[in-house]
Amino acid sequence: MAQERTDEELLAAYQQGDPEAFESLLRRYRAPLFTFLLRMLGDREKAEDLAQETFLRIVKGASDWEHRARFQTWLFTIARNLCVDQSRRDRFRRADSLDAEGRDGEPPMVESVPGAGIDPERGAASARIRPLLQEALLSLPAEQREVFILREQAGVPFREIAEMIGVNENTVKSRMRYALEALRKALAAAGVTEEAVTEEPVPGIGLGRA
Amino acid sequence: MTHAESQDLLLDLAYGELDAVRAAEVEQHLSSCPECRKEKAALEDARRMAAPIRELEQPSPGFDERILRAARAQAQLEHDGNVGQVIEVTGSVRPLGVDVARIDAHGPVKARSAERPRPRWIVRTAVAGSVAAAAALALVVGNTLETRRNAEKVAAAHSSDFEIRVQPAVPPVVDSALRDAEAKQRQKDEIEPRGLGGVPVAAPGQEKTHDAVAQMPSLRKRGGPGARMQGSGGDAAESQAKAAANAKKERAVDTVAPAASGALEEKLSEPPPSASPPRAAESPPAGPAVAARQDVARSLAVAKAQAPMAPGVAEASLGAPTVEANARRAADDPSAIAYVGELDFGGSAVSVPVTNAAGLLQALSRGGGHAAARERLEHRCLEPRPRGRVSFGGRPVRRGAQGARRVGPLVPVGDDRDFRRGPGAAAS
Repeated sequence: MAQERTDEELLAAYQQGDPEAFESLLRRYRAPLFTFLLRMLGDREKAEDLAQETFLRIVKGASDWEHRARFQTWLFTIARNLCVDQSRRDRFRRADSLDAEGRDGEPPMVESVPGAGIDPERGAASARIRPLLQEALLSLPAEQREVFILREQAGVPFREIAEMIGVNENTVKSRMRYALEALRKALAAAGVTEEAVTEEPVPGIGLGRA
Repeated sequence: MTHAESQDLLLDLAYGELDAVRAAEVEQHLSSCPECRKEKAALEDARRMAAPIRELEQPSPGFDERILRAARAQAQLEHDGNVGQVIEVTGSVRPLGVDVARIDAHGPVKARSAERPRPRWIVRTAVAGSVAAAAALALVVGNTLETRRNAEKVAAAHSSDFEIRVQPAVPPVVDSALRDAEAKQRQKDEIEPRGLGGVPVAAPGQEKTHDAVAQMPSLRKRGGPGARMQGSGGDAAESQAKAAANAKKERAVDTVAPAASGALEEKLSEPPPSASPPRAAESPPAGPAVAARQDVARSLAVAKAQAPMAPGVAEASLGAPTVEANARRAADDPSAIAYVGELDFGGSAVSVPVTNAAGLLQALSRGGGHAAARERLEHRCLEPRPRGRVSFGGRPVRRGAQGARRVGPLVPVGDDRDFRRGPGAAAS
């Protein structure tokens, strides 16, 4: 097989009217993007909606794209901005309701993180930790959370994160430090030890399941 | 390496963002600095504990469908060129008993060359009453100059209110899919009546006579053009500020639209929300659009916006002279009020107001790299122009096209892509 095309090459091909190129991009980023949004929002349904919207915006904007920004940056910027919109709406909604438990019997956000139905192939330790981790993530200030997830999960370098969110790189890194420290404390407080996690190192990208 | 520098770079080191030299320097410092070592260890601990965050989760099985459908439709469109583009000129032009003027200017549709995406016109409308008073209704679309014939139909037009729309060639499915996505969001928000934080909700009673357009504002607030370059996708960061600005704009539109002196509107490249008549979204470009507008008993001109290609001129050979010639013809035609074609705004010319030297309406194409220019122009387009004809901003595809804005006194310098202003062009 020919060498794998870069994101940017794929997008360029798509600009030229090759739909398969877009499919490749979608395949490549479907899970990472969805995971990013899931970690940001802690809600599968919302994450899926926003992931779709992100890709649709990509489709719509593809013809205007020029090879200056990396595709990945563009993609996550859109997603991140949609997240900000979303959380702003959520915030107003919450502020509206004095009842912190959510409305209409809707469970609080954190519990809607899938805990059941965890892939058995995944390590038991990880399965135990992920809900805790998600909870800890959601307890972070949004600006720390996004930096952390963009760097740790989406793999976006600090400099690009800075561009995405419009602050300087030092600010990004300082948010990152806070986030790491806060997570470490939160997880330690929840009884997660380093050993519990390290028994199963996690590959960065693994499109294991379809 | 100093301690402070090392401190600064520990994160970069942990995430592998340092080049080998730099990394070695930090490592060297680490060997002699327990504090940095400790901090590095803490960072690594935290990373290990947070490792499960990297596990990928998959969206549900049907996730791709809608996206792929939209993507294919868009690709088809890219392949077909600008077939779907529609330009409408709508106005209450009542010239000598001719109620409806239809301009159907379209040239041969060609498959686009593979070398470069064509520009697409931003959806944009702007109107000033004085425009119509000054000119018979005519439309120049790229290479196709249908002005004379149509000018006859609408001779002596004294319209006071019309609008020009340029529809983007965004395929229906993309728009409707995006619209659905947004509607879904809105719907969720409406669970809580005051859901849209800081973002004013369009009052239902605000309908204007401009049916579809009236629906636009609520959309504009949400997100802005996600299609923009440089990934300013969701527009979140500025949305609040913009919401305020937009609210202001809407008010401006409201007050101006009914007035005889000038109505202006704008549509952005966002799809109309679901409530609006899905004209752009669901109907094939020209026909139904015509019918729809005729209902409003206005003059209507629809033109398929060909890319600026002279008939018989291969796209590849379309050079600045052709563009300029088209622009010049438009400029020289007293009945023309609009020119839609390639334009070059060029970085420094960006601030030039939308009125061009020829006083022609100028459609603004969408395209990368000139978002800022567009912003500014969009803003300006909202201001009624007190004199003469109005132009929208233009956008460059080729440098030579700058001539279009400086219609007339252009002097080719060197190769045909480099134009300088001739005497008199300063008026622009």
